[in-house]
Amino acid sequence: MTKKLTSLLVLLAALLMLPQTALASSHEEGGGEVNVKEAIFHHLGDGYGWEVPFSHVYRIPLPVIVRAEDGKWFCFSSGKLTEVTVYRDEATGKETEHLTPVIHEVERDGKTYRFCIAHESTHKNKVVEIFPLTPAQEADVYAMTVAQGTPGDPVSIVDGYVKFDGVYYREYKPWDISITKNVLALFIATIIVTLMVMSVVRWYARKGFKAPRKGLGFMEMLIDFIYTGVIKATLGDKAKKFAPFLLTCFFFILVLNLLGLIVIFPGGANLTGNIAVTLVLALMTFVITNVLGTKHYWKEIFWPDVPLFLKFPLPIMQLIEIFGIFTKPAALCIRLFANMMGGHMIVITLVMIIFIFAAFGAAVAGSSVVVSILFTIFMLALDVLVSFIQAYVFTLLSTMFIAMGQEDGHHHKDGEAMKVAGDDIAV
Amino acid sequence: MELFTPDFGLVFWMFIAFAVLFVVLAIWGWPVILKNMDARADTIDNGVEYARQAKEQLDNARAEASKYMEEARQRQAEMLREAAQMKTQIIEEAKNEASLEAQKVMDAAKVSIEQSRKEAELQFRNEVSKFSIDIAEKMVRRQMKSDEAQKELVNKLLDEIEKN
Repeated sequence: MTKKLTSLLVLLAALLMLPQTALASSHEEGGGEVNVKEAIFHHLGDGYGWEVPFSHVYRIPLPVIVRAEDGKWFCFSSGKLTEVTVYRDEATGKETEHLTPVIHEVERDGKTYRFCIAHESTHKNKVVEIFPLTPAQEADVYAMTVAQGTPGDPVSIVDGYVKFDGVYYREYKPWDISITKNVLALFIATIIVTLMVMSVVRWYARKGFKAPRKGLGFMEMLIDFIYTGVIKATLGDKAKKFAPFLLTCFFFILVLNLLGLIVIFPGGANLTGNIAVTLVLALMTFVITNVLGTKHYWKEIFWPDVPLFLKFPLPIMQLIEIFGIFTKPAALCIRLFANMMGGHMIVITLVMIIFIFAAFGAAVAGSSVVVSILFTIFMLALDVLVSFIQAYVFTLLSTMFIAMGQEDGHHHKDGEAMKVAGDDIAV
Repeated sequence: MELFTPDFGLVFWMFIAFAVLFVVLAIWGWPVILKNMDARADTIDNGVEYARQAKEQLDNARAEASKYMEEARQRQAEMLREAAQMKTQIIEEAKNEASLEAQKVMDAAKVSIEQSRKEAELQFRNEVSKFSIDIAEKMVRRQMKSDEAQKELVNKLLDEIEKN
């Protein structure tokens, strides 16, 4: 242990000594200042290809599935939308590779369909279908750039049009159900969760009542932790009915969280830090809570046990309760999203410190590397904890919301206490 | 703000992926696991309960066995005592019987002795009386040669009778 630690320290010291000039100069060739914001959003966001480790240019191509304006579906490789071009710097003779977007043209039924990844458009980084401009539209675009105060300016973005290589096209945002990086990560996580759960099932089928050990034992411990500690403790008799949903939620979120922390291929997609994912999860809880809600639950919303003046001429309580129906899942959605995205953002920002300080010379850059790596490791370790906590909290709150919808008035006091606890955590 | 607007494609696939995962696990996964975990917990509980009962039974059996042992020992002692008692009784009885028998034999002997003695006495008496008569006859014959002597004797006898 101490040996490892000393070797790590030696490594860090060596990094400190390393002449940074080479790094700095190569950096300037890559386009001057590092765009920190761009880098952060690139890492947090989705993509049509999956980066190959240690390369900024090559990507694993993934299928793009889009529905064109005339209703036809198209499916092609995302590799067709980008091209790797080699730039040669005449002064130094150095070659650098760049990823450049290209227009993918498809001929079908005598018609040409063009697709590209929009950059200078309102649909940034999304696949759009593009059409060459008619003279009327050209005039329209010009008028709009004039209205923006930059007539014909190549940097201005106009609604409904995309600029590609300095030329305006009319754009159409197609229905896009492409297997993007995030979607593929979603499938991978689904497979991992299935395998994890099924391995426990297989153990039971094979070994009967023998208790599983090691990994499977850990799985079983987690299942028992959630089932007995959260679901059964809150839902009581109805635990069996809702356990499949809640357990699936927990393990799915946990695996997605942890996969997001792994930097290279099967991981790296920031899924639980993507609002679409948390939205679907929260919507599921919302639907289950309200569709399976009991009479008593709805009575509590429309005619709660409060003094009459709070609910009769003016439906104050009803308004609050109805508002509460929507705020609960919204809180679920935002909490998971914000926590995970925040964690990723901090890690990336800490890494970016290296590049920000690189401009201040070798000594500063060297020490910033050490500091940045130490903090990054700490943050990643913390994110492992957060991954688990957020999965747990999501499941716990979902269980509580569902339990509120399952009250039947007999255990009124318990229900009230639980509701208060739930609201506390929701805040 | 692209981060805060959910992307339709991802929502679509997320829904499908989650739905598939949920259906698969809700049918083949969770119920099996939960059932098995419950069943195992029950088995363990039952096992503990069974062990407790078995121990109780064993303790009971042990107590019962020692009780039987004690009882048997008591009975043995009792039997021994009874046997001893019986022995002395039998001996006593035998003794009594023997003495009774002896008594009987002795009695019988006494009777026969008495009888023989009486017979002997009678015989003796008879003989003695015969002898005495003989002697008396002889004496009388010799003495009674004179009349005077006869008279004197008769008087003497009469005196005697009178005295009596």
